[in-house]
Amino acid sequence: MVELKQVSVVYGEQHALRRVSLSVEKGEFVFLVGATGAGKSTLFKLLYGELRPTEGEVWVLGQPLHQIKPRELPYLRRRMGIVPQDYPLLPRKTVWENIAYGLRAIGYNETAVRQRVAQVLALVGLNEQARQMPSQLSGGEAQRAAIARAIANHPPLLIADEPTANLDPDTSWEIIELLMRINLRGATVIVSTHNRTIVDRACQRVVAMDRGQIISDVPRGGYPVELDRLYASVML
Amino acid sequence: MIDRLRFVLQETRESLLRNATMQAAAISTACIALVLLGGAGMALYKLDATAQSLPSRFEAEGVLKMSAPRAQAQQIKTQLEAMPEVERVTLTPREVAWEQEKQKLANDVNLADLPNPLPDKLTVRVRDPQTLPAVSARIAQSPLVEEVIDSRKELQTVLEVSRLVRWIGLGAGGLLLLAALILIYNTVRLTIFSRQREVRVMALLGATLRSIRLPFILEGMTQGVAGGVLAALLVLLTAAFLSDYVVSQWPFLKDMPPGLPPLVVMIGLPGLGALIGGLCAWWATLRYVRI
Repeated sequence: MVELKQVSVVYGEQHALRRVSLSVEKGEFVFLVGATGAGKSTLFKLLYGELRPTEGEVWVLGQPLHQIKPRELPYLRRRMGIVPQDYPLLPRKTVWENIAYGLRAIGYNETAVRQRVAQVLALVGLNEQARQMPSQLSGGEAQRAAIARAIANHPPLLIADEPTANLDPDTSWEIIELLMRINLRGATVIVSTHNRTIVDRACQRVVAMDRGQIISDVPRGGYPVELDRLYASVML
Repeated sequence: MIDRLRFVLQETRESLLRNATMQAAAISTACIALVLLGGAGMALYKLDATAQSLPSRFEAEGVLKMSAPRAQAQQIKTQLEAMPEVERVTLTPREVAWEQEKQKLANDVNLADLPNPLPDKLTVRVRDPQTLPAVSARIAQSPLVEEVIDSRKELQTVLEVSRLVRWIGLGAGGLLLLAALILIYNTVRLTIFSRQREVRVMALLGATLRSIRLPFILEGMTQGVAGGVLAALLVLLTAAFLSDYVVSQWPFLKDMPPGLPPLVVMIGLPGLGALIGGLCAWWATLRYVRI
């Protein structure tokens, strides 16, 4: 599903990623954890083709993203659901329009748009908020709307960048539960987060990053002790 | 396909309404540039048509000496008709010319009792105005010809005015067109920046570059068309007003050939506006819309 082979990304003289290798199989649920600047966002940008590796190979859904032609990229992205960290929703459009916007942008006809929007709104529990503007939504509702838009096209791979940022613990867990439900329906899910509580509670695969490298990869567990040690040493 | 078109048009409309001030600036600059270009174009067309329609452009008159016998005048006529450059030659006998002159001036002067002062006259029409100087020179060679009259000087004046209008119109219109190009380019660029979020969302959802760029290009074309329509109206109104004024001042000009048909202006200027607006927007999206 996703494979990174010895991938490095260098900005000027700074290494954002150093020889990272990672493999995610179909149907997995993976947490990507690490402090700010650890390289999580860089790794995500590689996965959806916003960035090219300086060296190494990036394979997503069987496609070599390290050498994909720009005109082929949109068609690959249609098979991914992407929940970006910044500004997930368009502020001048209602929840319904936000979800429909994505489908219209990739050429769905109006009948299909109406069907799919209704289905995903029901799935994420936002039927009643369909006509509300993003500014009228709570943080959790906004994230659910962003997730709804990302999965509206039935993507086999869902990538969510910090979907629990700035959310209270209960709402954060609601979001993770939603993502796990989507995972149970067959989608591979990769989520980046700082939230140790939900990582511990979800008990899924956890990949930890620090300074552009993967420092641990636990198949099924909680927040990695390696990161705790690192933070402790920094604090001391 | 209709859904897709509706989506693109909706996005274009939203963008146009969102940046009203910038739109107004771009549209007015495009309008001014197109007014100058259109005005110059119309003036050039009219001057050119006037120059083309001047009979003197094709004709020279050989005024014969009073002593020239009619038979020899006929001979010269035959010689001139044999020239390949010459389309036709008309010999106007002095009696006929005098009758015509008397009729022309009948309301002002009574010429009935005066002796005929006019000589015979040969009017030579050439096929190509370029050959007129050579034919005039050929007529002047005859010892029976008193003088040769052609209107090269008047024609030259029309052509010089036409040249002046062309340079002023092209120069000023070109500069303003460049300003309009830059302004439309800048408007679209700023629109792209203000819609980075939408652009990124569309790109991450898998929209193709072409479908992301299209609303911006349509926006630029709309600005160009709006500027072009305004420019066409201004040009036509100004032309109508000026035409009335010129004829009221110089009535003999009422027989000037008509200018560009209004439909050509109403289609041409918005069309040119759409072209430059679309090109500018396309150029801006090439540089600033990335996936």
